[in-house]
Amino acid sequence: MNSLLVELISWLIFFFGVGAPLYLIFATIGIRGFKEITSYEPYNALLYRINPIVKIALSITVMIVAAITIWWIGAFLTIAILASYLDLKNGKRKLVIGMLFVISTVVGTAWGYAPFVTSSILSIAFSGYHPVVIWTWPSYFSIMGYQPQLTLQAVEYGLQISFRTSSIMMSALLLVMTNTPSQILRTLHKISVPDSVIFSLMVGMKSIPMVFTYLDESIKIQMMRGLGSRHSRFLKPFYMLIGGIHAIVPTIIHLLRGAKDIAISADTRGFRATKKRSYVEDVRFTRADYYAVVIIVAILGIAGVAILLGFGRTIPYVT
Amino acid sequence: MNAIEIRDLEFRYLGSRKPSITVPYFSVSEGESVLITGKSGSGKSTLLQCINGIIPHIMNGTRRGETYIFGESVSKARLPDISRTVGTLLQDPERQVMNYRVEEEIVFAPENFNLDKDTILQRMEDAIQGVAIESLRGRETTKLSGGELQRVALASVMSMDPRILILDEPTSSIDPEGTREIFKFLKNEKGKRTIIIVEHKVERVLPFVDRIVVVDNGRIVLDGPTDRLIEEAHNLIDLGVEIPSHILIANKLGIRASGIDEVRRIARECGMIPHERARSNGGPVAFRAEVSVSYNKNFSLAAELACRAGTIHAIMGRNGAGKSTLLKGIIGFIDKDQAAFSVSMDVEDKKLRNPEMRVAGQYLGFLPQSFDLMLINSTVEKELNYSKKVRKLNGVDELIENLKEIFSLSDYAKSDPLTLSQGQRRRVAMAAMLASGAKIILMDEPTSGQDYMHKQNLGREMAQLKGLGYTFIIVTHDSRFVYEFADWVTVLNFGKVALQGTPESIFSKSEYYGVVPPSEFVLRYENEQLAS
Repeated sequence: MNSLLVELISWLIFFFGVGAPLYLIFATIGIRGFKEITSYEPYNALLYRINPIVKIALSITVMIVAAITIWWIGAFLTIAILASYLDLKNGKRKLVIGMLFVISTVVGTAWGYAPFVTSSILSIAFSGYHPVVIWTWPSYFSIMGYQPQLTLQAVEYGLQISFRTSSIMMSALLLVMTNTPSQILRTLHKISVPDSVIFSLMVGMKSIPMVFTYLDESIKIQMMRGLGSRHSRFLKPFYMLIGGIHAIVPTIIHLLRGAKDIAISADTRGFRATKKRSYVEDVRFTRADYYAVVIIVAILGIAGVAILLGFGRTIPYVT
Repeated sequence: MNAIEIRDLEFRYLGSRKPSITVPYFSVSEGESVLITGKSGSGKSTLLQCINGIIPHIMNGTRRGETYIFGESVSKARLPDISRTVGTLLQDPERQVMNYRVEEEIVFAPENFNLDKDTILQRMEDAIQGVAIESLRGRETTKLSGGELQRVALASVMSMDPRILILDEPTSSIDPEGTREIFKFLKNEKGKRTIIIVEHKVERVLPFVDRIVVVDNGRIVLDGPTDRLIEEAHNLIDLGVEIPSHILIANKLGIRASGIDEVRRIARECGMIPHERARSNGGPVAFRAEVSVSYNKNFSLAAELACRAGTIHAIMGRNGAGKSTLLKGIIGFIDKDQAAFSVSMDVEDKKLRNPEMRVAGQYLGFLPQSFDLMLINSTVEKELNYSKKVRKLNGVDELIENLKEIFSLSDYAKSDPLTLSQGQRRRVAMAAMLASGAKIILMDEPTSGQDYMHKQNLGREMAQLKGLGYTFIIVTHDSRFVYEFADWVTVLNFGKVALQGTPESIFSKSEYYGVVPPSEFVLRYENEQLAS
């Protein structure tokens, strides 16, 4: 093949791997979308009635099962959890945002692995490994740590690994979207999680939606000041990315100033004053929790059966 | 018994050569109410933090001396134990409030203290009624206005039933009506517990305190009964304290009266009436906007605004009246998936309808309340040249040099803007926005949390800039600032324009819409005019 064409395609593939997840994040999900899937909104539906303890147990179960079983069980769990988003407030919109986030994660993770994974790892991962070369990189790509050739197995390997993380992220977001910080605080206290961990989580839950608000405001102001004003509207996502990068430092500084106040707010209101904490609202178990527990048991059962049938896998033995 | 006693205290922050606070001796008796004031950075907050235990338990630095709370050493006690006695309301309620629902926020502290359920519920009820936030029950804290949030934060502190109550600028983000509610609450609490209040709005707090303390340059420079304010009025202005106009007149007249009606009567008898403020009529209409925003059934705004070139146009009204929404609507900062909105505007002979931000930015500049978010460059110089670079503007070098002079930024040109003081950062952000070439400048609450000196500086800078053809649209609750510097006022009420006119014509009838006239206006104009 013409060497110029090879160069061109190689760089196109490179930019696809880097750019596609970013494009999905900035152009389709947007800062507003991220804020939506990281914030609680009140709603009366089954998922909101499930006790946070059960949701935490579900997240841990998903994490364990995705880590020790074959990739398609992780993929199945991702799809199942995504489908449950339909039960949320503005469920269809959250499902779409969740799907885009999963696609972005899958592409990003797969592309983060595929060009770098060595043939020795692939030969461990795939029994009877016969590499199917789909692209040969220009030799200087090795400076970036790329293997000389991209194989079908390497792409498959990257994709399979991505499903181990996507299901965990989706179940963690489910907890955040359906419970208030104080419900989670109460639950974590009940199960004796150390105060320092709880406090970090509370600061995180308070700060994450604020991060998106501040980033959004900073990017908009940059646009007003002229960022991207001389270029086509189609390049807006690219300029949003540049604006987002510029906004990181002021946002972090603004947040750090705020985080200190959150710590002061908690400590001057008796946080950690006593070992035990009382609650106005009790942590109760309802019928919804029993359904959820049944689902957890079923997931564990499926994982057990899968392992017995020879589908138990850990990295790098993914297939 | 002394509720608070400080002996030989000195504290300097890590990396600082100079002590931030030095207090040889200071005490507050049980049940006393004390106002602490002074300019930003004078050491007021550091003093509070030495009382509520933030220093030395959270803030690091070099400290000597000791603070005692009811005889107990602050440095030896655990911070959560100090909080059983000392309740602290922080300046920014958005950073204080941590929980999702109003009730969850109020019971946060009693739950931390492991009180029984009945006591917690009783404390919650008392706090809700004490702060008068019955209407906020069941609301989500993320959807409250600044004023509502401030009162929820206060209720959450009151639910601790503290013997000492520390309020750090409790009305900085509240409209005059909300401010009145807070002070009504203070009036009820006076004498029941020891209250320390840090506030720039001296005029509003004075009737509710027994004593005034002025901090300057890390030292207490005045400590005495509130009458001392009249005696020392002119000296205190130099220390950045906002002295009410009627107190200044009382000082000039050499009388001890502190009530505005009495001062007004005597001043009129002596022929001492504040002079009429000059207003700029401006040139032709430079900017006209029609904005419509609708957030489902919850809130809608439909307002029209017209501003003359070279004027300062203030937008006032209660919290939640739609002031910030109007600004955000004009510049297109409203999320289309959250609200239906449209804006059409006439600016510089152009008609724009729902313009993209980058297009609107050619004509309009916006200074947000959190102006730090604007500062994205590594030096002040780069920050000022940002728009020139990205818009490829020609012929703005002279403007940038002028702005450096006007905002006294030449000495900091090579500094990182985020490392400067709050006042300097505000000036960098403002200069950078003006350097974008926009002539219509929108500012959201530029006076909020600013001390008198900074507000005066801001007003003077704006007055100078309007002479250069800039037009300002500012959202503010600060009647005194508006009376001193604005040329035109629009009062919003429930998303509609309720009043429009000069400050003189507005303040005579604005109280109905939650806008309280400043004392200078009250002193100058006749009772009949006020009543009308």
